[in-house]
Amino acid sequence: MESRRLVYVLTGLAVVLVLVIGGLILVTASGGSDNGNSNGDSAGEPTDGPDLGERVSGELRLFGPDPITLDPACASDAGSAEYIVEIFSGLVSFDQELKVIPDIAESWEVSPDGLVYTFTLRTNANFHDGSRRVTADDFKFSMERSLNPDTQSTVGEVYLDDLTGAEEFINGEAEEVTGIRVVNPETLELTIKERNEVFLQKLTYPTAYVVDQREVEGSTCFEGNWTLTPNGTGPFKVTEWELGTQIILEPNEGFYLEPKPAVSKVTYILSGGSSFVMYENDEVDITGVGINNIESVRDESNPLSEDLNESESLDVYYIGFNVNEPPFDDPEVRRALNLATDKEFLSTEFLEGLVVPAPGVLPPGMPGYNKSLEGQDFDPEEARSVLDATGKADELNGVKILTSGQGAAPSDILQAVVAMWQENLGVTIEIEQEDFGLFLRDIDEGNFQMFSLGWIADYPDPQNFLDIKFHSESANNETGYSNPDVDALLERARGETDQAARLELYQQAEQLIVDDAAWVSLYHGKNTYLVKEWVTGYAVPAFVIPNLRYVTVDR
Amino acid sequence: MPAGLATYIIRRLLVIPLILLVVSFITFALGRFGPSDYVEIQAGPRANPETIERIREERGLNDPVYEQYVRWLMDFLQGDFGTSVKYRGVPVEDVIMPRLWVSLQINIVVILLSWVIALPIGTWAAMRRGTWLDPLSIGLLLVPASIPVLVATPILQWLLVVQLGLLPADSWSDAEYFGVKLGVFSKEAILAIFLLTVPTLAGIARFMRAQVIEVMDQDFVRTAHAKGLAVNVVVIRHIARNALLPIVTLFGFELAALTGGAIIVETLLGIPGMGQFAFEAVQSRDYDSIMAVVMLGSLLFMLAMLVVDVAYGFIDPRIRLGGGLQQ
Repeated sequence: MESRRLVYVLTGLAVVLVLVIGGLILVTASGGSDNGNSNGDSAGEPTDGPDLGERVSGELRLFGPDPITLDPACASDAGSAEYIVEIFSGLVSFDQELKVIPDIAESWEVSPDGLVYTFTLRTNANFHDGSRRVTADDFKFSMERSLNPDTQSTVGEVYLDDLTGAEEFINGEAEEVTGIRVVNPETLELTIKERNEVFLQKLTYPTAYVVDQREVEGSTCFEGNWTLTPNGTGPFKVTEWELGTQIILEPNEGFYLEPKPAVSKVTYILSGGSSFVMYENDEVDITGVGINNIESVRDESNPLSEDLNESESLDVYYIGFNVNEPPFDDPEVRRALNLATDKEFLSTEFLEGLVVPAPGVLPPGMPGYNKSLEGQDFDPEEARSVLDATGKADELNGVKILTSGQGAAPSDILQAVVAMWQENLGVTIEIEQEDFGLFLRDIDEGNFQMFSLGWIADYPDPQNFLDIKFHSESANNETGYSNPDVDALLERARGETDQAARLELYQQAEQLIVDDAAWVSLYHGKNTYLVKEWVTGYAVPAFVIPNLRYVTVDR
Repeated sequence: MPAGLATYIIRRLLVIPLILLVVSFITFALGRFGPSDYVEIQAGPRANPETIERIREERGLNDPVYEQYVRWLMDFLQGDFGTSVKYRGVPVEDVIMPRLWVSLQINIVVILLSWVIALPIGTWAAMRRGTWLDPLSIGLLLVPASIPVLVATPILQWLLVVQLGLLPADSWSDAEYFGVKLGVFSKEAILAIFLLTVPTLAGIARFMRAQVIEVMDQDFVRTAHAKGLAVNVVVIRHIARNALLPIVTLFGFELAALTGGAIIVETLLGIPGMGQFAFEAVQSRDYDSIMAVVMLGSLLFMLAMLVVDVAYGFIDPRIRLGGGLQQ
């Protein structure tokens, strides 16, 4: 009878289903759940996962990015660096005022010619597992590892290429970096090729941090999973990293700097949708505020308005030109586009004050920020007459502005800018989206007419913006901009030891760059975020710094 | 089991590796010919292009695609699925398994729920053919099926989580039952299950309705009625059972999709399942992970289709499998 066969079949399907599921349970239960059941749960009782429910007293809960790597030698993104600076440490670091402070190095001396840095290491800096203390040899090993081609790091040389002998080492011509010398276990001597006022600041970047030699040997930036349980030296240690779900940090009891970590635990939630919604439900303690929520949060009748905080962010968002090809080889064309861009409207109206307009390159909060910089202020009539004088308005039609994106509508901001140019200059510029990797390649190869990009500080120094982006020989000068006067100023600033005079040189260079209309600078970001009343000492830093040891949670 | 059936199954099983080979090559080639690669993406804007090129060379990404493919295939055949680059150094199977488990739980619950709800509704609507209740019931199901999840997700989140506070903001939990992570049974999962179940109801109910109507008009149903059997008995024992036969195919497709994740819902709600991972793996050009996801999906799909075909032969002897199956 057909219906009996049907019963067999359905039973058969059910059996297959049960077998598949059962098999998977066995596989995943053995591999997947061995890290979450430290809560003394009894069988059959629903025990909430470690990421929800039972909050430990003094625990800080954050919504975090899913890091690509926790290897200090490899991190090229802020999302990874945010964790690394809490777990690892180096010779020096930044405090919350963005001043360079001693870290594992207790003190240092610089030779009169500015080329030799002699660091004295503290004797109480130990690895998390307590097995041994950090010595100068660890630093030599770790920095050479960052530079070693076998490590396959894309950032090692970016931050450590000042060292004497770095190039020879990278090219395989030398066995070691001669500029890194171990004098004795407590003394490390670094020699650089030429005087560089920002060398110390570059050492705050993770590529100069200490890693545990026994742990990392043989790993590259793409292989080796010791980073799941790293043995660092920083204020916090990783107690759990559940991929894509959460990272739990606990204080390093033996941390050597004051203040020591005051929170009992830091839980980063890596998945779970909207951090804003989670904040409203007390599931995370801090959240950023975006364009969709800012209006309601600013409303004073909203209790959340009391949690609102703002801080400066050291970055700039801009539109770059290919200045070596028409029509953008003509500075007047670039100037017309600048004059036709209403940055004030963009920042205060369109982005609801979440950003500040950028007349120049350097963000407020950056040393050398020039309040009296003469920007290319919005003036649509002037813009049109400048463009008409060039006679190149037609050449602008159909020009493409390259941006990174994935199929969805391009960013509203870019569309608004293009609309402004359409309205004020009557030119139609197209937006072309590209996959991020391809976009970066095209930018590197100069394969563009215009592009939009942001730049975030590595360290608080104008060199990090002006020299890197506008010196004609800098690898990060994508636009091809070249002005001998600017080059001369930037080069003089490199060797200038008097800080005030140095900043003055950078201000002059910035003014020339703005006069040349090298970019259309659009805006500088701001951190707008909410902090629960029980959290003190937390401020979103202007760029990534070790930040969590200053935080206390009273809950 | 008849000998012919065994031959048929073996023959089908033998074809699977061949199809997998083709699928793997196409997927592999698409990935490598696609724009940029993981070295470039991870390097970010600060890196030196020459360094990127050097690393690409060292990692064999500049080799001809067929060479890279053969290398991958050899490892794969030896049970080495490669390592993730999104989660550096972690074997692909360790990355995928926990996520597979998450999507599997959700999918099983969603399938069970949608069938338990939709089949009776479809049957009920068919019995009321010709009255206004029939189009009304199916029509009501079509409304939520027509709202894209991209729209429904944020609206429901706002309503149920923020405004009414009925559900937690987190959309997935690591809750354990009997020592196994079964997040699907915690209240965090309700929104996801709802969002995935509701849009499927209309399709299944309508299919069931059509089948029931077809069966209803057949002679044996009239006979059953004529015998004086109660209406309920006729509906359940004679009509519904026979109407279910073609639905086995539909079920087979769902079985095949069991391990696949819902990309949009998982990504929007932040559920660490296969859908979210597939999306992230593609974004970060995590080649080995992409290959593993695709291979797993293809294999399960083919197995499920085989099960369905065999099941069909059992249910309806008139269907002959591969010409070789004797009754």
